[in-house]
Parts: sequence; C-alpha cells; structure tokens
Amino acid sequence: MDLVASRALPTERRPLRHLDPLLLIVAFALAVIGVVMIYSAGRASLTAQHLDPNVFVRKQTFFLVVGAALVALAAGFDYRFLKVYAGMVYVVSLVLLVLVRTPLGANIRGSQRWFQILGFQFAPSELAKLALIAMLAAFLSELRTTDLSLQEVFRATAIAAVPGLLVFLQPDLGTSIVLAAILVGVLVVAGARARHLAILALTALVLMFGAFQLGVVKDYQVARLRSWLDPTNDPQRTDYNKQQAEIAIGSGGMLGRGYLNGTQTNLDFVPEQHTDFIFTVVGEEFGFVGAMFVLLLFALLIWRAYRIAVLSKDPFGAYVAAGIAAMFAIQMFVNVGMTLGIMPITGIPLPFVSYGGSSLLTNCVAVGLLLNIHMRRFT
Amino acid sequence: MTEGRIGLRLKILALLVAFMFAALTTRLWFLQVLAYEQNRASANSNAVRTVEVPAPRGRILDDQGNILVGNRMSLVVTVNRQEAGGQLEQVLFDLSKVLGVRPSELAARVDSTLYYVYQPVPVATGVSKRVAFYIEEHQDRFPGVVVVPEPVRTYPAGDLAAHVLGYLGQISEEKLNDPSFSGYEAGDLVGVSGVEAEYEHELRGTKGVLKYRVNSAGQNLGLIGHLAPQPGDDLVLTLDQQTQQLAEESLKLGLEYAHGILDSSSGKYLAANAGAVVVMDPTTGAIEAMASSPTFDPSLFTRSMSTNEFERRFGAATGFPLLNRALQGQYPPGSTYKPFVLLSALHRNLVTTAQGYECPPSWSVPEDPQHRVFSNWTTANLGIMSLAQALWDSCDTVFYPIGYDYWRIYYPPTDPPKEPLQHDLRADGFGQVTRVDLPGESPYSGRVPDAAWKAQVHADNPKAFPDGDWFPGDFVNMSIGQGDTLVTPLQLAQGYSAIMNDGSMCVPHVGLRIQTSGGKIVRNITPRCKRRLPYTAAQLDYVRQALSQVPVQGTASYAFRGFPFSQVWVAGKTGTAQVFGKQDYSWFAAMTRAQGKEYVVVALVEQGGHGSTTAAPIVRRVIEGLYGLPTTQFTTVGGTD
Repeated sequence: MDLVASRALPTERRPLRHLDPLLLIVAFALAVIGVVMIYSAGRASLTAQHLDPNVFVRKQTFFLVVGAALVALAAGFDYRFLKVYAGMVYVVSLVLLVLVRTPLGANIRGSQRWFQILGFQFAPSELAKLALIAMLAAFLSELRTTDLSLQEVFRATAIAAVPGLLVFLQPDLGTSIVLAAILVGVLVVAGARARHLAILALTALVLMFGAFQLGVVKDYQVARLRSWLDPTNDPQRTDYNKQQAEIAIGSGGMLGRGYLNGTQTNLDFVPEQHTDFIFTVVGEEFGFVGAMFVLLLFALLIWRAYRIAVLSKDPFGAYVAAGIAAMFAIQMFVNVGMTLGIMPITGIPLPFVSYGGSSLLTNCVAVGLLLNIHMRRFT
Repeated sequence: MTEGRIGLRLKILALLVAFMFAALTTRLWFLQVLAYEQNRASANSNAVRTVEVPAPRGRILDDQGNILVGNRMSLVVTVNRQEAGGQLEQVLFDLSKVLGVRPSELAARVDSTLYYVYQPVPVATGVSKRVAFYIEEHQDRFPGVVVVPEPVRTYPAGDLAAHVLGYLGQISEEKLNDPSFSGYEAGDLVGVSGVEAEYEHELRGTKGVLKYRVNSAGQNLGLIGHLAPQPGDDLVLTLDQQTQQLAEESLKLGLEYAHGILDSSSGKYLAANAGAVVVMDPTTGAIEAMASSPTFDPSLFTRSMSTNEFERRFGAATGFPLLNRALQGQYPPGSTYKPFVLLSALHRNLVTTAQGYECPPSWSVPEDPQHRVFSNWTTANLGIMSLAQALWDSCDTVFYPIGYDYWRIYYPPTDPPKEPLQHDLRADGFGQVTRVDLPGESPYSGRVPDAAWKAQVHADNPKAFPDGDWFPGDFVNMSIGQGDTLVTPLQLAQGYSAIMNDGSMCVPHVGLRIQTSGGKIVRNITPRCKRRLPYTAAQLDYVRQALSQVPVQGTASYAFRGFPFSQVWVAGKTGTAQVFGKQDYSWFAAMTRAQGKEYVVVALVEQGGHGSTTAAPIVRRVIEGLYGLPTTQFTTVGGTD
C-alpha cells in the first residue's frame, strides 16, 4: 500500500527533491567567509590582549553548526503550522523584549539589548524580526485579499510598531529600521495601495532618515538625537569610525592587501571590526574584487528569497519569504552602506558574516523557512 | 499568487534592491579605485608615528679647544594631546603622580599655545631613568606620552664668557615667521643671544626621525625606520679661556677695589656698579676676552623660568646682567678719545708736532660773549707743551682750541656741511656698528654728533633738547670726548687696534672657525682688515709714542708704577667721562706688545672715578697676566684724568 501510494506520488512532490541548493550554498559560503574574516579581524587585538586569537572563530563555528541544525529544523516541519503559532511566537517575542528592559537583561555599553545565558548573549530583537515576519504574514494572509484598505495597512503597521518601539527604546535604532523594512516589504507584496504605502513609508522615511541625513535638523541636534538614540554613539567617535572604515576599505584597492595583511585591520584602527564593521576586512584585504564577490553572494541570497516569494504556493509563504528578503536586503544595505560612509552608523550586523550567535542563528532559521516554503511549493 | 499587480510591486521591490546594489557598488568603486591612493596613504600614515630626535647642538670651544659649552642628555616627557584624546585628563592625573607635579600645573604646560594640537608638548625635563622606564612600561595608561632624550647645554667653565656665549630659548613667534628659520617648529630651542644666536645655523644640526609602527591605541609595535640626527658643527672661538678668566677676574677685583675708594667730587665711595673689559688682537681683530659685569649664569636658561623670576634675576635690581656692556654699553669716551681728535687735527693740518701749545687751567671760546669757562682736569698751569705731552698729561685746554678750530675754519656750514672732524672720527669706526659677529649691537652704536643730528633731536623733542643749533662748544666738548659723543668699549678697542696696527682696521670677531664634531674644519672665519685710517704712518707713530709715555710719566704713571716697561711695551690713554647725575666713568685703553704678540686692552668701569684710579689698574693686571708677569695688587693711586 505504502509502496503503491509512494509509487503513485509524482516524485516532484517530495519536498526534499525541491531543495534550493543555491540558497544553501550561498548562505553557507557567506557564513564561511564570515568565519575567515572574523579571524583576521580579531587576531591582532586578541593577541595584544594576550587572548587566544581563535576565540571568536571557535564560537562562531559552534554557532554555525547549531545554525545548520536550525536550518534543518526550520525546513523540516510544514511552514503552514507557523501560521497557526505566529501569534504565540509574536507575543513571546514581545514579552522577551519587555523582559530585556528589566534587570533580567544585561546592559552592555549603554544599551539594554541582551540576555546573558550560560555565557552566551541572546538578543530578543533578533527573534523579534522573525516573529514580526510570521505575524504580519499570518495577519495579511488571513485577509484573503490583495487589495488592502488603509485600515488594514494601519493594523499591520500597529503589529510592527509594538516590537519596533520596544527595540527603539533599548535603544537599537538599527533593528527598528530592519523591522520597518520588513513591514514595508511584506505590505508591498500583500497588496497595499501605493497611496497608502506612500502615506506610511514616506512619513516614516522622512521622519527617520530626513532627520539624520538630509540636514533638516541642525547638526548639533542630529548629534544629540543620535547620542540619545544610542549612547555608545558619540559624534566624535562616530566620525572616527566612519573615517577609519573608509580608509580601510579604500586602501584595499582593486585586489586588496592580502589576507591578514591589512594594516587598518591588524593595527586595530577600525572599531567593532569583527561584528558591525566586518565588511571593512573584506574590503581592505580582498579589495574591490573581494567586496564585489561578497555583494554578489548577497544578491544571489536576496534573489533566491525573492524567487521563493514569487514561487510560493500560498500568500502566507509568499509574505514570509518577502519579509525575509526585505530583512536580508535592508541589513546588507545599511551595514555595507555604513562601512562605506553612505549610511549612518547603526548597530546592524551583516547577515551570516558578522560575528554574533543571535544574528547567525536567526538568519539560519530564516534560510530554513525559505527552504521550507520552496520545498513545499507543490504540496 | 502571481497576479499582475503583485507582480508589478515585486518588480518595484526588486528594482529598489537593485538600486541598493548599484549604490554600494558605485561607492566601493569610488573608495577602492578612484580614491585608492589617498586612502592607501592615509592607512600608511595611520599606522606610522614619527618621533623627532633632536640633534645634539654643536659645542663651543675656546681657541685652545677647551669646551666652553657642551651637551648632556636629559630625559624629557612629552604629551601629544591628539593621541591622548579623551583620556588626556586621566593621563595628566596619572602623570602628575609619577612626576610629582600638580595636575593643574601639567595641564597648564600642555595647554601651551606655542604648539599645534598634533605636536608633542614637553611637560617635564630632566626626569629620572626610573620615571622614563615606568612610563614606557605602562604605555596603555599613558597614551600619547613619550619620553625622549634631549640634549641640554652644559657649561664646564661656569658663567665664564656668558655674554659672548649667550643662551638658548624657545624659538619666538617672530623667528618662526622668518624665512631664514624655515624648518624650525614651535618649541625648538634657538640661540637667543651671544654666539649661540649668531652661529645658530652652524650649531643647530639636523633633527633625526624615528618611525614606529603603532596601533590605534598608539602602542608602539616596533621601529620601522630610523634617520640619525646630524649633530651641529662645533664653533671655535677666538676667545681664550685663560685670557677670559684673567679679564673677568681683573674686572671683578677692580670693581671690588673701587668700592673702597672715596670719590672726592661726590663725597661718596665709588659705586663701580658695572664694567667691561675687551682684549683684542689688533692685527686680526680677534677678541681674546670680552668681559662684562654684572654677569649671569647661562645654565639658568636650561630650565623654564617665569616672567617674575626673569625680572628678578635679570632686571634693574641686579643691574641688567644680560647686557653685554662691552658691546652694548654706550658711554662718553672722555679723554680716551683724544688720540683720535689729535690724529684728525694733524691730518687736517690744524696743529703740528713741531709746535708747543699752552696748557692753562681753563679756556673760553674767544667769540663767546658769555665767556663760558672750559676747565682743565687740574687747576695747575702746566705751561707750554708738545702735542705728545698734551696726550700723556691729557691736557684738556690744549684740545679745546683744537675743537674750536673745526668751528672757526669749517663753519658756517655749507650744504652738505663740511664736518671733517666727524668724518675722520667715523673713519676711525666711531658712530657705526663694528659688525662684530655677536648679536645685539645697536644699529646706532655709539654717536658722533653733528649739526644735522643735533637739529634732528631738537626737532623730535624740543623740550628735552632746547638747542637745535650747532655751537663752537659742541666741538670743544667733542675734542675731549664729552658732550653728546658716545662710544662702546668695543668701538674704542677697534680704534686703538687700528692705531696699533699702523692704520689697518680689522672687524672685531669672536668666531675663529667652524668644525665638525670630529674636528674637521668646515670653514675658517677669516679676519677682515680692509679698512684703513686716513692718517699717515708718521702721525700714527707719533700718537703711539706719545701714548707710550702715559704709563711711564703721564696720567697712568701711578697705576703702572714698577711695571717692567723694558720687557713689555705699553701705551695707553686714561679717560674720565662725566655722566650727568653719576660719578665719573673710568676708562683705560691700552696697546701693548711683547714676546711677539700684540694686544689692545680696553677697560671701562661705570662710576669708577678717574681713569687712572680704577680702569688703568684693571688693564695693568690684564697685561701682566697676558705676558705671564707677576700680577700687582690694586693700590690707591692719585686721581689723574
């Protein structure tokens, strides 16, 4: 019976036959590049502090192994169950975002973003990204329309605004931007009207970036606002970071100075280099060619996510994939843009590449979900 | 779920992402390809810190090679404000504990406006090696703090020849803007006075550079380049340490001795507050000794000094000891001027050596209706005498009519006025700079007054100078070195040297040669003796012979009693200069020859009374020392001019 049934089933319908190997390869490649860069970024400063130069690499590799398991896990169940539990996941993420503000959370460099668990730091804002994607996708797919009313758009916005505000207050401007981008990405795909989106997106964008970038506000106000939004971010330090990052990338030239040979990297001139500024290592040591290669990998990653959104059998899967694509795209753009001096400095990690467990695991789950949706597009 | 509208929106999203990549790629191209050179240079300069290594300054030696100014290494703590950055306050606080200086004091030193913010500022000099090691060992606590060895001047001979040697100071704003001081930076030490200033460029040397690789915390990761400093060249002086010692000691003893002499005209002891001695080789102009009292200790300038302390040490209360009176002091020459006046008069045929001249107790200008009386220094009538005797007895009343003759014959003035006396005196080097290789000589060095000058000072300040007209009395005063006439001791030494040197006048100089620290000669400072006095050899010889009688039977005979004239030929002239409101200034100018060596020795003592009283014994002692004769004790001698 089983034999007959299985024989009767077209082989095309078996989920594992419909893996997206390119997506897996690209994500894995980025993660491996990350580990290699993290070693270069941390080696000199760790050695100078008489620490094991491999300590970051070891931790990141460990998270990569855990992440691989999470990919399998997130791909293994039928993603449609997620639609059922989306509300619960969303509420749990909100509770964690509230709890992290209490003494249960750890305050690191003026920002209350992490839980300290067994020597690892866990940032609930990472979970909040996925929870928001799931919640928005569930909410919008339940509407069963591709022509959203302004009221529905506002409801979706409210869903995003709650975690967005909590994250913003941590303060973590970067993640708020990511959450906003996810909202916009999902709304576009879900069929919000251009006019509504314009009302929403423009007010938000003008409020956020306008204040910072376009000089609507006076310089000292920008500086004050910035340091209010992120106390670790004093203007002088920010300028220095920006300058050193640009010098690091620029001094790489066409082919780079060679692995472990970047002076900006080795002599510790670029701050936060293994985390937020990891792209400067790529730029300095592997040059324009290396940097373009990494950007190409990101283009492939986003393209695969986009393609999965298009191919998805149901709106929920499409919305989830679109949200993930938006998340990857905005993180990549803001992070790389920051190292190149065209975006403000906000603490956004480069997906898969930056050092940091929470971020890597979140991205792994995201890839798992993408595979999940891709695999089950015929079932 | 691929309805057209959604598909379009997805395309818009895709376009947005494509735009993101385009922006990033463009920016990457700009930074890594177009701005590559600049960024690469920034990265390189980021990682390299250059530390300047001061060059040891050239030494200053006497003509025998004795070190008058040397160097020793001193450890200096410098703070780089930019490198210390936000930690500056903490760094200064920690540093204050290590150095034992109050943090506020350190902060004040660091805040010096003389330095750019990227330049290291010296905050402590002469720190111990222990402190230096401690700071270097704890670089993490002292970002931007560097201990550098810096050469500091030493003076093995103490304050000897302080005025000639000069001292160092931080370069002034004015010099920093001077093109001849390009390559100097704020905080650099430069010669401020003396030969330290005159030979600054020879002595200075070239700074060295150490290039270190540093990380962002400024931690030294090792030397990557080294350019050794080039030590400055040594300066060898014409000064002779022994002669200088002799001159300074003689001046000092002379002043002390004068303090015990009662001045008959003021009824007080002689103040003898200051003086100068110049010993010069008349054949080359080489200055073998140049003493000025009061003096100072040049080593005081190796440390920083407050304005208050500077004023206290070097102000009016201590008699302005930084002033080099031999070079910068301007005094009426009194009778030491007479040989030059006589030479001019012989040259102009106003007098003749074949004739006798009357030496009455006083004399008046014949046409002066007021009959203003010009007295001789003695009330005795010395009768008729030769011009030679008029010199050795220093008879003023012989010289007054000579002065008057310049009025009688050459006035009223033509345009331009014929002023042969002034012309000749200027030819003797008076009223103009000597061009000695020492800074600080006033461009108005000394004064040979004339009608135009007198009119000018009257026009400039009619209240202080009510007379703008040139009178016979001005010539009369000038004939005995009084009135508005001023000379510097160095000018007088130069003039007597020319008389001694058969009319050939050499520019006085203290530099003998420049040589490398290894002793290789870089250049010799050759004597410049191009100028000639406008007098005949016979006229000069006549004056020399006359002056040789001064110590034998003239005004200085008491001062030279018992002097071995058979061994050492000495000729000289006393001078007693009257200065309004002061005791008389004492002068003696001597020419001497023995053992194949000639010298001119000039001594001046401010408020030292008669020339024969104070200055002549000083000169005698110097001459005795020069030729290795036993030195005579100072004894009170009669007050002759």
